[in-house]
Amino acid sequence: MSEFQKAMQIATSGMIAQNVRIRVIAQNIANAESLATEPGGKPYQRQTVSFKSAMDRASGAEVVKVGNIGVDRSPFGRQFDPGHPAADENGYVLLPNVKPLIEMVDLRQAQRSYEANLRVIDVARTMVARTIDLLR
Amino acid sequence: MTTSMSTAINAYVDAVQRVGAGGESPAKTPGGNFADLVKSIGENALEAGNKADQMTLSAIDGQANIAEVVTAVANAELALQTVVAVRDQVVSAYQEILRMPI
Repeated sequence: MSEFQKAMQIATSGMIAQNVRIRVIAQNIANAESLATEPGGKPYQRQTVSFKSAMDRASGAEVVKVGNIGVDRSPFGRQFDPGHPAADENGYVLLPNVKPLIEMVDLRQAQRSYEANLRVIDVARTMVARTIDLLR
Repeated sequence: MTTSMSTAINAYVDAVQRVGAGGESPAKTPGGNFADLVKSIGENALEAGNKADQMTLSAIDGQANIAEVVTAVANAELALQTVVAVRDQVVSAYQEILRMPI
């Protein structure tokens, strides 16, 4: 496998990792108002994603993989709403610990990272194609 | 694609040197003859093309990531371009010899 192909493979792994990240962010944003169904229950807990580098044995390239998808243990929000079906005995409803602003910044970061990897593929491809063009 | 593109280029350089040497039997030169060269780069391109096909099919099934498909197709395309470029050069060198006044 040529170095260019390795570069493209590594960039692809980066794009796939960002795909997973986008999925988790979408999940968080969509569930930003998902509350508990029974009184005093827990609402949706924000999920986090972490990346790790991994050696690809076939090509000897250091690719990126999704480490694990964990949960954010920061405290839930509370709102006084005694009429709500999920309200506890004091009349409080727990709100998910998703902050739309943070999710948006994360989303933008994922987008930028995806674009950077895309650019690497584009450049590697153009370099190979231009080299082949020398023969023409 | 196990053999890299630079191998194909090296093979092409060998082929050109062989043509330039003139009168030398191709079978005696190291690195195989012209048929082997064409066969090996053709096989490489075929392999890359097959992989691209596989990835496309599994993407239709929803199993492969679109990024993987694009990379596989780009690899196949580059391999094919290499084969075509090398072939064109070798054929034009051959035609050049045919045009030689006797």
